[in-house]
This record gives sequence, C-alpha cells and structure tokens, in this order.
Amino acid sequence: MASAYDRLTDILVNQFEVRPDELRPDVTFEELELDSLFLVELTLVVKRDLDVEINEDDATPRSTVADVVKLIEAQLDPAS
Amino acid sequence: MTTGVVVTGLGLVTAAGVGTEPTWRAVCAGEPTAATDPSLAGLPVDFSCRVPEFDARELLGRRANLLYDRFVQLGLIAADEAVADAGLDPATWDGTRVGVVVGCGLGGAGTWETQHATFLAEGPDQVSSLMMPMMLPNMIAGHLGMRFRATGPNLITATACASGATAIGVARDMLRQGVCDIVLAGGTESAVVPLILTGFTRMRALSTRSTSPATASRPFDTDRDGFVIGEGSGILVLERAEHAAARGARVRARLVGYGASADAYHATAPDPSGAGVERALRAALADAGAVPSDVDHVNAHGTSTPLNDLAEARVLARCLGPGPAVTSAKGALGHTLGAAGAIEAALTVLTIENGLIPPTANLESQDPEIDIDVVVKEARPQPVGLALSNSLGFGGQNAVLAFAP
Repeated sequence: MASAYDRLTDILVNQFEVRPDELRPDVTFEELELDSLFLVELTLVVKRDLDVEINEDDATPRSTVADVVKLIEAQLDPAS
Repeated sequence: MTTGVVVTGLGLVTAAGVGTEPTWRAVCAGEPTAATDPSLAGLPVDFSCRVPEFDARELLGRRANLLYDRFVQLGLIAADEAVADAGLDPATWDGTRVGVVVGCGLGGAGTWETQHATFLAEGPDQVSSLMMPMMLPNMIAGHLGMRFRATGPNLITATACASGATAIGVARDMLRQGVCDIVLAGGTESAVVPLILTGFTRMRALSTRSTSPATASRPFDTDRDGFVIGEGSGILVLERAEHAAARGARVRARLVGYGASADAYHATAPDPSGAGVERALRAALADAGAVPSDVDHVNAHGTSTPLNDLAEARVLARCLGPGPAVTSAKGALGHTLGAAGAIEAALTVLTIENGLIPPTANLESQDPEIDIDVVVKEARPQPVGLALSNSLGFGGQNAVLAFAP
C-alpha cells in the first residue's frame, strides 16, 4: 500500500498542480503557493479520497508537507 | 480639461477562435459559428456559439483551472493579446495610472451551477472553498489587476447585454478626467450552461432552430426567431491620446463619443418607440461633435430577436436615415451577453482600420419592415469616417459608442 507521503503528494500533483520537483517533506504549502483557501480545499480532497478527516485549523499555509503526512498517518494507522 | 481617448490595443476570444485574427476573418466571411453543443444535450435548445477548445494551463498558468472560472479565463486571454498588441510592458508602466473596467452580465455561471449540484447531491461539506473567488463577477477585474500590475481604479459594469459597451464608456470617462493614462476595458462572458440556457429558453428569447443551428442567428431576417447564446471576450486598451503619442503608440482608432440611457420601460422588452436608444445614440453623436449625416457605419446590437431588431432598425432609420451601412456580428458569433458590446466595439475598430464592413451572416431575406442598409453576403469595402457601435441590455440599459479613424 502506498505511503501517506506518496498519497498526499499524488493529490498535490494531480489535483493542485504542484510540480513533483517542488515536493519535499520540509516544504511548506506557502512555498508551494497554496494559500488558506487551497488548504481548506486540500482537507476536502483528503477526506474524499483518503477518508481521512483533517481539522482545517491543523493544516495551514505554514505547515509542511510532512506535518500533514503525520496527520494522515495518525488516522490511517491509529496504532502508530 | 478633457483629453482625447484612443484605442491602442485589441484582444478577442470568440466562437470563431482565440485571437483577433480568426474572429475578424470569420465575421468578414459571414461564417456562422453556432453548432450543436454536447453540454446542452437533452435541452429544448441544444446549440451555442462556444469558444473552441484551448489549454488554459498553457495560456494562463498551471493553476488556471483551479483559480479561474471560464469567464475569467476568456477575459485574461483577450487582455494578454490586447496589451501585447498595444506594445505595452506592464513591468515598466506606472500601475497606479492603469485602470480596469470590464463588463460582465453573469459572472461564474459554470462554477455556480457545478457547486450547486455538489451542494445538493453531497452536502455543504463538499462545496469548494474556491467557489466564491471563482464565481464573483468582479473577479475578472481583480485578476486583470493582479496579472498586469494595474493598481488604478478597478471595477466591473453590469448592464446585461450592454455591459461591455458600458465598460468602455466608463473607461473613456476615467481617461478624459485624467484619473488614468491607460484603461483595460471590455467585456467577458461564459454562461453557456444548462440552467442559464433554460432561463433564456423559458422567456422565449432564444432561437429554437436545433435542426439547423448554423443558420439560427439571423439578425434583421424575416425568419429570425431569437438569439443564439455565445461566449467570449473583447478587451481594448484605451489610452489618453497624449500618453499614446508620447510613447509613439500605434493608434488603431479614436473613441470619440459615448452615450447612455435607460428605456425605463420593461424588464426585457425594448421600448418599441425606441426613445431610449435614440437618446443614447444622439448623446454619442453630440459627444463626438458629429451630426447624423457623418455616420458611415453602425455595428448594430442586432440580436436576431423579433422585437430588438425591429425597434433598433426603426431608431437607426429615424435618426440616421438610409445612409449608414449596418451590420450585426451576432449572425456569426451569436450573442455573448456581457461581452457583446466589447467584442463589437473591437470589430468596429477593425472595420474602420480596414475600410471593410463585414456582412450580417445568415441574412437571407431582410424583414420588409426593416428599412436600413444592412450589409449582406459579402464584406463591403468602404472608407469609414465615423462608426457607431450599439448595445442594448435587458433592463432597458442602452450604450452607444462612437469611433473614428
């Protein structure tokens, strides 16, 4: 099964027009030019595609990709 | 102190293609663009004048489809052409002296319809957070400001089918008053969506020639039965004459007059007396310091509806006599609603520039009650000294622009 990082980056590339070469765990959404409206949209897509609910306040433009991966992992594998 | 206002750039996106050149070519050839529209399948009226496929990501950036409703995309593409045509570099201009005025009748109709369907089917949590900034009609002006570093006055006009012409008139006033040196002015619309089509169908405004869509839009014809909805954008770069001269700009035409009025008669029907249109027309002439006999050409509103074409033609005959050569671009391009006045203003500039008056597409048998000189079959070579571009909007809002070489 694909990792949470891979699944999130797939969404960012395929639905938010992020270039693969821009992606690293420590890049912020701000650096990817994704503002707060896009972050709300991202939580919607993550819920729809991964069945993972992220609180809109937990993912901000200053969050890194790794921050959101952790939030996804916590729900995909609650034991972790 | 008033200043002259000139047109230094043109940009068009229509059902004939992306760019001024394919649009002018189709209009001059009298080529209709209406065709069966798969997005309208199953509706009583299932045809439109839709802009041919284009790659918004390539033209406007990778997030174009996430950020911009189609009405904004069309406007930005037209503006790119217009600014380049004017030989302007937004990186070096004083943005505080650059305004934006764009007409738009409906805004993001496609976004509205899609998100409303999502709301009903999947609930409020599934509605996009990007919906509002995509949908608001003023976003075309906002995004033009951002794209071109234009930080002067920034607004839209909404006078229904006259919106694009009203925008050009308002922009002219801003330039005359010295508020700006340059204004990006025009109109944009993309409302070819099932709900809007249905609304116009229910009010019996549209042609129902589904079996022969190409011939459906036939301004001034005996057998006209309504308009054909289209989409598109026209953006003009308007400039204070002194500013254009100082930078050695090519002047494509002068905007010498603008007149506006209200019928104050009915929500959708034009005043059959034509009094409102006549006031706007005479105001534009007076503004231009011209008399009726000076008018060589009229780019008519000419929607192909029974009421509009007769009322408008009667006004033209009464005010201008048999002299001016009249055309309507809507036979070729359909009715682009809030963009129409701007697209037709651009075509009027091209008519003056080329000394060539396009024919009215699909006009086979002129209504005997319409006693004006409508150009048919082929473009007519003719020098044009003064030309009017008429626009009439639902709500009784009229705007007439006057252009000269």
